[in-house]
Amino acid sequence: MRRRLLLLGTVVVAVLAVVAVLATGLGRDPSATASPLVGRAAPDFTLGGINGPAVTLSKLRGQVVVMNFWASWCTECHEEQDALDQTWQRYRDSGLVLLGVDFEDTSDGAKDYMHQSGLTYPVVEDKDSKTALAYGIRGIPETFLVDRSGRIVDRIIGRVDADRLAGAVEPLLKGGTE
Amino acid sequence: MRGRWSAAGLVVVLAAIAAAATLGLVAVRGHQQPPARPQQVQQIASGLHCPICKDLSVADSPAPLAQQMRQQIDEQLAAGRTPDEIRAGFVAAYGDSVLMSPPRHGIGSTAYYLPLIVVLGGALVVVLLLRRWRRPSGVDGAEPDGRAPLTSAQRQALRRAVERLREEEA
Amino acid sequence: MAFLGTYGLMLGLVLSVGGAVTAAVGARTDRPALVQTARRIAFAVLATMVVVDGAMLAALLSNDFTLRYVADNSSRETPVFFKVLSLWAADDGSLLFWNLILAGYVAAVAIRFRRYRPPTFPYALSVLFGVQAFYLLLVNGPARPFGTLAQAAADGRGPAPLLQNHPLMAVHPPFLYLGFIGFTVPFAFGVAALLAGTGSDAWVSIIRRWTLLVWCFLTVGLVLGALWSYSVLGWGGYWAWDPVENVALLPWLVATAFLHSIMLQERRGMARLWNIALVIGAFALTTFGTFLTRGSVLSSVHAFAQSAVGPAYLTFLGLVLLGGFGLVAWRLPMLRTPARLESTVSREAAIVGNNMLLLAATAIILLGTVLPLVVEALAGDQITVGGPYFQSALAPVFLLVLVLAGTAPLLPWRAVNRERAVRRLRLPVLAAALMIVGTSLAGLRNLYAVAGFGAATLVLVGNGQEIASGLAVGRRHSGVLRTLARGRRRYAGLTVHIGLALLAIGITASSNLAEQTQVTLRTGESTVFAGHTLRYAGLEADQQAQRVVLTARVDVSGSGPLTPRMNLYPAASEPIGSPSIHRGVLRDLYASVISLQDDGNSATFRFYRNPGVTWLWIGGAVMALGGAAAAWPARRRRAEEATVAAERRRQFSGAGVV
Repeated sequence: MRRRLLLLGTVVVAVLAVVAVLATGLGRDPSATASPLVGRAAPDFTLGGINGPAVTLSKLRGQVVVMNFWASWCTECHEEQDALDQTWQRYRDSGLVLLGVDFEDTSDGAKDYMHQSGLTYPVVEDKDSKTALAYGIRGIPETFLVDRSGRIVDRIIGRVDADRLAGAVEPLLKGGTE
Repeated sequence: MRGRWSAAGLVVVLAAIAAAATLGLVAVRGHQQPPARPQQVQQIASGLHCPICKDLSVADSPAPLAQQMRQQIDEQLAAGRTPDEIRAGFVAAYGDSVLMSPPRHGIGSTAYYLPLIVVLGGALVVVLLLRRWRRPSGVDGAEPDGRAPLTSAQRQALRRAVERLREEEA
Repeated sequence: MAFLGTYGLMLGLVLSVGGAVTAAVGARTDRPALVQTARRIAFAVLATMVVVDGAMLAALLSNDFTLRYVADNSSRETPVFFKVLSLWAADDGSLLFWNLILAGYVAAVAIRFRRYRPPTFPYALSVLFGVQAFYLLLVNGPARPFGTLAQAAADGRGPAPLLQNHPLMAVHPPFLYLGFIGFTVPFAFGVAALLAGTGSDAWVSIIRRWTLLVWCFLTVGLVLGALWSYSVLGWGGYWAWDPVENVALLPWLVATAFLHSIMLQERRGMARLWNIALVIGAFALTTFGTFLTRGSVLSSVHAFAQSAVGPAYLTFLGLVLLGGFGLVAWRLPMLRTPARLESTVSREAAIVGNNMLLLAATAIILLGTVLPLVVEALAGDQITVGGPYFQSALAPVFLLVLVLAGTAPLLPWRAVNRERAVRRLRLPVLAAALMIVGTSLAGLRNLYAVAGFGAATLVLVGNGQEIASGLAVGRRHSGVLRTLARGRRRYAGLTVHIGLALLAIGITASSNLAEQTQVTLRTGESTVFAGHTLRYAGLEADQQAQRVVLTARVDVSGSGPLTPRMNLYPAASEPIGSPSIHRGVLRDLYASVISLQDDGNSATFRFYRNPGVTWLWIGGAVMALGGAAAAWPARRRRAEEATVAAERRRQFSGAGVV
């Protein structure tokens, strides 16, 4: 009898342990991955501009940079267009640079879309996707927040809204170089 | 019967030895030539997980991003970087999960010990089990209904009777 | 429709719970009348499920877009064939289908034991109803297929493009479900045996037959899945070690182990405890698989959209594990059998080895699949465990399994007469050695390829020799057909091994010797690959009801053209590619179009040369057919059962039994 109870007890404990471990997987978005770049220096790049001159990231040191990876065929990117434009208009004089990085797209497609949407912030194109690879892009849209000292502070996957951006950007603008 | 190998037995043993030796040779000498660059790209790419696909490696994936990754691997190899450096570059941008197999450090490395532990553990269990099931006396054991095992004299008599029967059959 | 469906599901749930209670009470109080009522309830549940599934089908076929499920998974342009398939295309609908199949199995058990009823039958029925009640609870609770929209949609979204691309979607899920769900039956009888406390082994032959049948279905389901992946997804491979694929393999491996160790129990009375544990384990693994697939715990190509069913599945899994293994722990004394082994080189030892290897493979796959989850839970790191890991970890294990499959059927039970065994092994070992030496002399430098071909040869020649010698002897005495019929289980088993060897040849060849290339061609341009000249002939467009098909024709020197396609569905932002395959006995020539440029004047192709893939399908079919042959009920057995049933009737006359 003793032995049976002991065995039964072992079974109960083992099952509970298994269930507990599996339960940690619930409620977690399985496709969300953390970016290892957060907290590190933003990889430098020089990319040709679509609606302006070429941009080198390191030359923007001292300003807060919001980099948004997008493409003209990405419907979710269209949805965040207004929010990005608003943020640009609101903070451009306070030291914010909002940079669109066009990824896996055609120059004509991008230009058409930019013309249609009336987008005003500078956009560069990442023709060979080297920059996208350096930033660990898994899909679009993805938005990176870089502080005045060139360090990546956050990465947002998916559509951003104006309030969230504002909330993230304002402390960086006040922060200054460390 | 010990020590007497028939022709069939010799054939089996020799064949097994030949097979094992060949396998050993192939294992040791299999990858003699250094692979050409396209093969190297393929090798490295098949160890990387395509970031925008589920389950496919960068080598297998038709996605444009995977293509560009392969391009980048090729260029970096041409520039003289080692496969480890190239992999480290992707890990810096994407994290450990871009590798198709867990990294060799950290808690994930237990993945490499697990198969060994499982197989060796299983083999141990099997050996112990078989030993427990085999009576130390060998060929005979107590019948389920409790009859005593044969004595050696009885076994001898039995053997002689069986041999005689065989001779009669032949 | 929604009304019929919703209330039908509620009725089904009530009936299942009622059936579970009735059968359990009937079992405990030994009242055949109650058991008879429970049997009738099983038929009622089946009828209800047929009506409910019929209602959903009718809604799909009649474009009833008031139902959310229909709006999400079907559309006016979808062809009728794929509208029917939409039933199991998404989570909620497939649960309806699941419930239907489960009800079918319960009814089948009720019919099967109409005359001859073992003492475990009422308990098993109760357990079956219990499982059915859980799945009905799901469709009445977190996953409602008959939910309605506030406003009927004008048109539906249509099924996911990948799911309506190929008719294989018609057969892959049903066979997989028949396999998965079928494990409920052996589990129910195993638990019933523990509950009933019978020391006899009557349940063994019942469970064996059902497990064999379910094993056949699962084999077909898995092979069809590989075929689908290969013919539809266009990446040139057939198994991606996706978490959902892995968990489907686990119950198959455990069932295979069980089908071997059952012989130990039948012939030597050994391994009773082990066999029940295996049966419970197989069912637990299918439940775990369902949890992983539908609970959105791991990212996968098969993963259904996130839904609230995860916690429900996890709870059910916990109950199954607790109940099943708890019962085993409780009934341990009843299950102990005296085990005796005369010789280490014997069929018994080989079967023990087989079980150990198959369970090791199961453990490796299981642990590898959940490791990312565990690591993230414990340390917060994110890792991937992918194909290369599984392939290198499992190759040695499966090679050893093949070696056993080639030698164990030649070993006798109990003790081996060394001389005779060696004589029997001589030809297979010689053939395998010749294959190994020959292939490496011919220039093959890949260790796994050489070993794989050698092991497969061992299996082919060993099992083939056994079939041939058995028939040769039997032919003289009673004729080939009689011999086959009398030794049906053995010959079927040998055939399954031969199918396994063919499968192994296919896997070895395609995994180690495949070639591929990626090339961009302008119209009229050609390239040389795999001994053929491949010329891009041009793009053709075809407007169909639900999609636009762009075919990039590639002329192949020495045979017909390859026609890889890109399918443009309105719902999908990216085109879905369909590969074009020239299948051959020795190799497949496989083409995928990756992208089109310049209005189709330039196209990027991937060409593959995949040796041996055809043998995968042939081997899988042979395995399934062999299993079916073994599972087929024998006429003599039915006569036996009729006699027993008649005897029973005499005993119970007047108590209202059949």
